[in-house]
Formats: sequence, structure tokens, C-alpha cells
Amino acid sequence: MPMLDRRLIKNFDFYLLLLVLTLCVVGTVTLYSATHIMEELADPLYYVRRQLLVTCCGLVAMLIVCFIDYINFQNWSRYLYLGSIALLALVLVMGSVRKGSMRVIPIGFFDLQPSEIAKFVLIVMLAKLLADREGHFHSLQDLVPSLLATALPMGLILLQPDLGTALVFLAILAGMFYVAGVKKREMLILAAGGLVAAPLAWFFVLHDYQKMRLMVFLNPGMDPTGTGLQLLQSMIGIGSGGLFGKGLFESTQARLRFLPEHHTDFIFSVFGEEMGFIGAVALLLLFFLLIYRILWIATHAKDQFGALICVGVAVMFTFQILVNIGMTISVMPVTGIPLPFISYGNNAMIVNLLSIGLVLNVGMRRHKIQF
Amino acid sequence: MNKTMLHRVRLIFVIVIGIFVLLSARLAYLQIVQHDYYLYRSESNRFTTIDLVAPRGEIYDRDGEILVTNRPGYVVSLMDLGDGYDADTIAFLSEVLEIEEEEIRSAIDGQLYMRYLPLRLKSDITPEVIARIAENRWKLKGVNLEVHPIRDYRVGSTAAHILGYMSQGTIGDQDTLERWAEAGYEYEPGALVGQTGIERSWQPWLSGQDGEQRIEINNLGQLVNYYERKDPVPGHNLYLTLDLELQRIVEDIIARHLEAIRAKGKNPDARRAAAVVMDPHSGAILAMVSYPSFDLNRITQDYAELVAMNPSPLPNLALQGTFPIGSTFKMVTATAALEEGKLGAYDISYCPGTITLANDTKSCFNKRAHGALNFYSALAVSCNIYFYRAGLAAGIDALSHYAREYGFGSPTGLTDVPGEVAGVVASREYKAAVTGGEQWYPAETMSAAIGQSYNSFTPLQLANYAAIIANGGTHYRPYLVQKVVNSEGNVVQDRAPEALRRAEIGEKTLSIVREGMRRVTQPGGTGYYRFSHLPVTVAGKTGSAETGDNREPHSLFTGYAPYEDPEIVVAVVVECGGLGEEAAVPIAAEIMEYYFTGTIKGVLDSDADAGPPADQEF
Repeated sequence: MPMLDRRLIKNFDFYLLLLVLTLCVVGTVTLYSATHIMEELADPLYYVRRQLLVTCCGLVAMLIVCFIDYINFQNWSRYLYLGSIALLALVLVMGSVRKGSMRVIPIGFFDLQPSEIAKFVLIVMLAKLLADREGHFHSLQDLVPSLLATALPMGLILLQPDLGTALVFLAILAGMFYVAGVKKREMLILAAGGLVAAPLAWFFVLHDYQKMRLMVFLNPGMDPTGTGLQLLQSMIGIGSGGLFGKGLFESTQARLRFLPEHHTDFIFSVFGEEMGFIGAVALLLLFFLLIYRILWIATHAKDQFGALICVGVAVMFTFQILVNIGMTISVMPVTGIPLPFISYGNNAMIVNLLSIGLVLNVGMRRHKIQF
Repeated sequence: MNKTMLHRVRLIFVIVIGIFVLLSARLAYLQIVQHDYYLYRSESNRFTTIDLVAPRGEIYDRDGEILVTNRPGYVVSLMDLGDGYDADTIAFLSEVLEIEEEEIRSAIDGQLYMRYLPLRLKSDITPEVIARIAENRWKLKGVNLEVHPIRDYRVGSTAAHILGYMSQGTIGDQDTLERWAEAGYEYEPGALVGQTGIERSWQPWLSGQDGEQRIEINNLGQLVNYYERKDPVPGHNLYLTLDLELQRIVEDIIARHLEAIRAKGKNPDARRAAAVVMDPHSGAILAMVSYPSFDLNRITQDYAELVAMNPSPLPNLALQGTFPIGSTFKMVTATAALEEGKLGAYDISYCPGTITLANDTKSCFNKRAHGALNFYSALAVSCNIYFYRAGLAAGIDALSHYAREYGFGSPTGLTDVPGEVAGVVASREYKAAVTGGEQWYPAETMSAAIGQSYNSFTPLQLANYAAIIANGGTHYRPYLVQKVVNSEGNVVQDRAPEALRRAEIGEKTLSIVREGMRRVTQPGGTGYYRFSHLPVTVAGKTGSAETGDNREPHSLFTGYAPYEDPEIVVAVVVECGGLGEEAAVPIAAEIMEYYFTGTIKGVLDSDADAGPPADQEF
């Protein structure tokens, strides 16, 4: 392995690192606010401690990933992919049930969540498959390997069932196809195919609770005690925050437990209630700069593989931000997608940091090294 | 990176910009445009108020003897302490309180999002149950023993009709609600309110002002924090005109006499009676009895049974029962004839025992001929023929006019307890109204002249009538509440006698009537035997009124004492008590004896100088 030379250091995107660190700090503080008042906890810092530990591990892993030239991932991609498929299969066999679906494999104190890992692996896998074609897509047949590579983990995740994460896969696929140079005609055919498949999915794939959530999204009044209530309480939290917010640690919606899932899926409600419109827009700005920076690196990558990785990561984050925040303010249906760097979730945090590590990696090696 | 890719990444970036603008715009809408609405929703999520019940005012008699107060009662309640309700606890409570587990669980379900309120399972539990719960306290979860005020009627069944009871019933009567609102009391459905008696009429003053405690609750409705508190203002205390001692004695006298009458087996229908003792110079009621009574402390348990009883003891006969008043009406007849100039007090009239007047054959009691009589002797012996003649001379219109002047035919004005009725004055108009226009016959005038026909009045009206005669023509509003004192001990109202009107009857006529009533208790009078041993001179009139069916007549008395300077009026009606002498007169005599001497010796038939003349009507 080559030692880091000065050029790599020079090209290291400290700007992106700073954004990520800032988001981690905001996330930790918000998590503290959302969880320290939970009466059922013997240790009020339980969630904060765990998340901080995982964040530190993730940051270290992120830096380690930077040392390894991302070109290597091209060769490792198929093994990573097979590994992630194996884990997804395993979770169906021996996973433990969390909130009605099998999503995790408990390993001692840590719950392994293969679907999070699979997102990261899929980006690498698709980047390799698409980069290999060097922009030559002449017919739908050329897309078949990528489609299959996406469909397999997606299918396994739908079996858990976890619709939200499966949709992230679709978004990643679409974004990467587009940037990789798939022609508009093929894109439209695939989109049309998706539209035809949607009603089939409604009848054969979606579970009742998922249909319910979609219907509640379309008509929030229809379920005022279940999903509709979550949504309403979330909007009450954010709306009552006003321009300046109620102040840090002053969320009554979370403290009095009117808001469900306030440390995971609905953590943005707590943030919006406490920090107000100004805080919420500032957070959005941080995310925006993050995406911007990742896409900037994508356009400066030395090869298609690197560029596609960055695009995949950017699309993944954008989609999750849109769906998660959108859900808390009722512009998106309620799905269990966490907010990157802010929601409590050990697997997501590590995978997000690894993804950033890979992007940093691409950025560091953006110029062909001169010998 | 080739041009196409660069172009496409840029397009993705544009989409990203679009997404962030969309999210920001939506946030601006919720947090700025809709902020007030969501802030309100957030506040109403977390705040609620619980009522702090004001202690209800107490009721005392004229001497400050306590009649009604509140005592602490233990209420068992169950609370969710944050981890739901404990099954073992529910099972234990079900056994100890004798409530089905199912019932407890459905009450819990019924609470929904009101878990900050303890769920009341049973009120006023016995010391044994308290002990069992206290012993097992360590293993019971969320069980509270709260102290809650319970209305305590210290006098049980005494004055039950006057004091009245409370219940959670709805108040359908819009009029009452409006009057209460004027007095500053807003009725809330489900609140305990007075249903009868003083508890009802004085509800706005007794109830006080409930306080409020603002609390913060969580999503399960569990209490989290206390906020502002508005302390309750206790209700006003009432001091009555009632004399508890006298009230008790009158009740005892009536009970004793009615039991004795029924024991003799002659009058099995003598089951109800009423008596009123009143100050003729003010209208203050010293005692008002409706017999039989019921126990106010057991009203909840006994209510269904009391309603079903025949006759039910619940109505207040003294102001809701109407009776023909028989010979006690004769002062009205005399007043009409005297005022109309048809009669002089000393005009002599001859009673042959039986006579045909206005084509109708009429007799005195037992067809006894009273011989030559003037007004005084006629009233003393209660000669019917004399008053038939007087009534015919005055005419029905004069009779009904003077009956109204004496306060008959409309409520006397007692508002301290609800429900007073008007009674009926026999008149041409009344007959026409109830018969569909039939005309009035002179024979009916004769019936009306001796208190029969349509005449039907309350015992309170009978007392008020004697009071008007005694005080020289003033109709005072009868009243029961003398003083209203707030919880700080300040008198907020002290009642002065309220003269409602003056009867338009000449003073000379009234004094003739008073003298006639005095003669009733003098030797030869129908009341002599029972009143002769009293230290004061009594003026009064006895009566027995035909019931119109085969039952014994109602037994009546109304009068006042002392004759020279009236202090009290006493009116007694015993339903189906027989002749006046058999029930109402001895009862009234004992009441007066107690009032003026403090003891009751009564007149025992065995040691009386002479038994009552057998052929006189009383």
C-alpha cells in the first residue's frame, strides 16, 4: 500500500470533513435533547454514549478508508456484494424482529442491520458495473446486470419488509444510471415499467401497514390515532417552533412523548421545534453544502468509477433527506428512513461515514498521479 | 469526466436545489405562516385543568345548631403510575370493594386520555374496607385513598323536606338555570346539585366557586407538572328561621298521634300529615313538618323505594299537598258576610239542626240543633247552618274574593324551598273552566262556605291565613333562611320580614273574627277541651273536611297564641285523621303547650275534667 504522499494530503477535502463533523455535532446535541428526558432510561445518556462511540469508530473507519485507493474497491466489489446478499438472507432466517419486521442480526451489544450495509455495497457494485461499460449503453440488455444487481438486495429487503430502504435502492439506481449515460429512451422505458409494476406491488408486495401509510399520506385525516397522529404531532412540534424555536432542550412534544420515534425517524421534528425555522434552514443548508461538495468531487473524479460512487452517495443522502424531512412536514409518506448523521442509528452512522470516506478517497485521488 | 456526464450531474444538482427549496418553503409555511395554529395545538396537547371542588356551605338552625355539614369520606381510586394498571391490584380491589373486575376494566378503558385523573372506584367506604386496603398497601400499585367531602345531614330525617337532597341528576329546567346563572352559578352537567328543598333553592350560594388547577400532561394523559392554581371559594353558610328543637318535637308529636290513631284501627288511612309553625309578625317559619319523612343520608340507596311507596314520603305536604279545609274556612265566610254588610256579629240566627235552604236539605253535625246563635257562638260550636246562611247571604263571588284576600289560591311566596303550589279557590270561574261552562248553583255556595266544594289548600296557606288574621291583615312572605354568612364569617344577607301585601279587610271585621276564634277555645267551644290547660289564650278553628270518597275526613286546625299578643301560628292537617278533635287539635295543642311551657303533659282522656261532648263537630 502506498504511503500518503503530499499531493493526497493537499487534495484531501477538509471542507467536506468539516461539514460532516459539524453534522455529527448537531446530531449528537439533538439526540441528547430528544433522549435525555426519556424516563425509561436508567442512564439518560444511553443513546448519546452509544451514538458517540459509533461516530468515533465511524470516523476512524472513514479515515482508514481514505488510505486505501478506491480503485481496489472495483476488484472487491463482487465479494462485498456477495457478502451483503448473504447477510440480507441471514437476517431473514435468524434476524430479530423490530417493530414488526426482521431487520437486524443481534451481535452481543450491537444490532447488525444488513440493509444499511447493502446500500453502501450497492453503490460500489453499481459504480463498477456501469463504469465498465464506459458510457456505452445501446439497448436495455446492457442494463440487465445492473438491474439484477439492484433487484436482488431490494427483493430481500422488501421481504423483511422494509419499503423505505428498498426505495433508497431505486433512487440510487436511477441516479447512477442517469449519470452513467443511460439514454433517455431507456430511462423512460424503465420508468414506465416501474409505473406498471407499482399496482402489482400494491397487491402482491406491499403489506397492509405500508398501504395504510401511503393512504394516510394522501389523506392524513383518515387515521387520526395511528400514523396520522404521528404525522400531526410531528407537524405540531415543527409548527409550534416558529421562527426562532422554543430553545435547545425545550421540545415539549418530545418530553411529554406526544411525538413518537422522536430520537430516530422523527428527530427532525424535535430539531425544528427547538431551533425554529432559522435552525431548520441552517441544517438544510449544511446538508445542501454536503451534497454540493460530494457532487463537486464527482465532477472532478479522475475516472467514471469514482464519479459514479460520488453520485450514488449524493443521491442516497439527498433521497434520505427528502424522504425523512419531507415525512415530518407531510410532503412525503411516512417510511422508516433515518435522517443521515442526525437520527439515532448505529449502522446508518457507520455506513454514512464510510460512504463519506469513499467520497473523500475519490477526491484525494482526483488527479492522475504523475510518476 | 465527459461532457454528457458533467451535464447530467449538473441536472441532478438542479434537482437537489429544487428539493431543498421545496423543503424550506414547506418549513416556512408551517413555522411562520401556520405558527399560531400549531403553537395553540401544542399548548392544548400538554395543558389541561382539573376542577378543585369548593366545600359546600353548611346549614344551621336559628340558634346555630348544625343541620347539614360535610364530612370527610374515603374514596378508593386507582391511578396509572406510568406503567399501566396492575392485574393483581385490580383483582384485590374487585374482591374488597365488591365490584366486578370487568366493571373496573371497562371504567379504565372509559378513561382514555384522562389518566391524570384518579379513577374513582367507590365512595364513602367503610372503616373495615379502609383497614383492608391499608394492610395491603405495600403490594397494591396505584391505589389511592382520597378524602372527599360527603354531605352529612346531621339530623337525618328531621326537616328532610326543608333541607332537601343533592344528586347528579340533570337540571332540565331552563328557568332554574337562568336564575342560578344570575346568582353567579353556572351548572355543569354531571355536577352534584341540590334537587329539592333549600339545597336546591340556595344552590348558587351553597355551592361556592370551584377552583382550578392547571396541569401539564403527557401523551398518556399522565400528570407531569403542576402550574397555576385558583383556589376554590367555599360556599356560604345558611342560618335558618327553623328551631331544630321545635321541629323535632312537632315531628315526634305527629308521629305519636298518627301511630296511636292507626293503632285504634278506626282510621287506617291516617298516614300523612303536615304542620307549620310560623311567626305571624314576620313570616319566619319555626317548624314545618311533612309526615312521613325519610333519611337524607340514605337517599341514594333508598330513592327508588321511596318513589315507589304509596303514598311516597318525598313530596313536602306542607306546601305541595292540597286539602279541602272544612270548617277552618268559616272565618273566610264570616269575613265575606261581614265585609259585604250581610251580617252583624251579634245578629241572632236559629239553628234547627236540619233545614232546607236553596232547595237543598242541610244538617248540622249529628243533626243537633244549636238553637239561637250569634257569630261568636256559631264559630265556637262550628254551626254549619249558620255559615250556610252567611255564605248564601254573601254569595260565591264574595266568598272567593275574600278567600284570595286571605292568601288562598296562589302560592304564599315561600321561595326558600321550591315547589309551592297555588291550591284552588272555589269560584264560578273555576267551575266554568273545569266543567266546560257549567253554571254555579247556590247549593254549591253552601258547600264552599264550609270549606268544601272545589276549595283545596296547602297547610302553609292555612298557616298564612291564621297569620293574616292574627297580625291584622298583613301577608308576610313566609321564609326559612334568615342569614347568609360567607366562608370568612361575614354576614352577606340578613333577611327582614317582607310584607307582600295588605289584605283588604277591615280591622273591625278582623277583630270580630279573632274574637270568634278565641271563643273556640273557651268553655263550650270545640277546642276548649284540648286548650283549656294552656297558660296562654289560644285563638283557632277546628275542622274536619269531607274527602269526597269513603275515607275518614281530614282533620284540621289553624290558630295562633297568645290571643292578646300573637307569637306563633300553628296549622295542622292530618290526612284522613277523622274529626278535628281526634288528630289535628290535640297535635296543635301539644305544639303550643311545648312552645309556651317547654313540656308536654297533654290532656289524657282519663284525667280530663270532662270528655269531649259527643255530639259536637270539631
